[in-house]
Amino acid sequence: MLYWEDFTVGRKMEFGAMEVTEEDIIEYATEFDPQSFHIDKEAASEHFFGGIIASGWHTAAMCMRMMVDGYLNNSATMGSPGVEQLRWKKPVRPGETLHVTAEITDRSLPRSKLELGFVKFSHIVCNQDGEVKMTMISSGMFLRKPSKISVQETSQ
Amino acid sequence: MSTVYFEDIAVGDKTVFGEKKVTLEEILKFAQKFDPQPFHVDEKAAGESIYGGLIASGWHTGGMLMRMMVDNMVNQRTGLGSPGFDDLRWILPVRPGDILRFESTVIETRKSSSRPDMGIIRAQVFLLNQNDEKVLSVKTIGMMKTRTG
Repeated sequence: MLYWEDFTVGRKMEFGAMEVTEEDIIEYATEFDPQSFHIDKEAASEHFFGGIIASGWHTAAMCMRMMVDGYLNNSATMGSPGVEQLRWKKPVRPGETLHVTAEITDRSLPRSKLELGFVKFSHIVCNQDGEVKMTMISSGMFLRKPSKISVQETSQ
Repeated sequence: MSTVYFEDIAVGDKTVFGEKKVTLEEILKFAQKFDPQPFHVDEKAAGESIYGGLIASGWHTGGMLMRMMVDNMVNQRTGLGSPGFDDLRWILPVRPGDILRFESTVIETRKSSSRPDMGIIRAQVFLLNQNDEKVLSVKTIGMMKTRTG
């Protein structure tokens, strides 16, 4: 189980991979982003993207799944307050395989709550050729190691 | 028919629409595929968590926001896609039965320095629930065709 103490600044984690199929792209976009270049093969080929591409929100959701399988479900996560910055760098196309690199860039402890801390991550989503598809700076909240809380209290 | 161009958008323009009702089935279906954490997929575990019940994945709420934008805005505009967004905040949990609506205010418009046929629009967007509580906020970035370009 990973606690806040385990997320040290500079630590890098890699997880994935996830293959992106045309069926997945169309299924997600039909529900959440039904623009022609996400759901209609013919219209997409005439569009400036030159073929069907994944919704950017779908790419973010796939990144989330890789994070959950990669470490979140093995951590004392308390959720996330949000995303500071997200950029879609290149279209994600059917047949690509995505993976994620996450580097811890900062972390902090709130004064009001001793039992949890914040961790800031810089995520990069790449395809099988190392081409950067999406970048995301986001934060997570994690419980602290139970034994460490009293140590912190007495040292302050 | 795409008729709204970059020049038709001004700082301060406000757009309001909705509603979108959130169902338990949708929350479970999304989370099983993209975000299988206990408080999104397991009603019992969710009840015992800090959230006190099942809540939607934040990325599901983001997807619902996108769908509301597509249905109400995107197809009437000369959109050229989006490079991303800034300052997304999941302010309050979204729960089964919640009814969401969308509020957007344009905060910046500028022409692209490299492409005269394109302008960039930034907006402050909120999703609110049936109790008028803000559940999500995000600063969106959209690219649009210019009329003159």
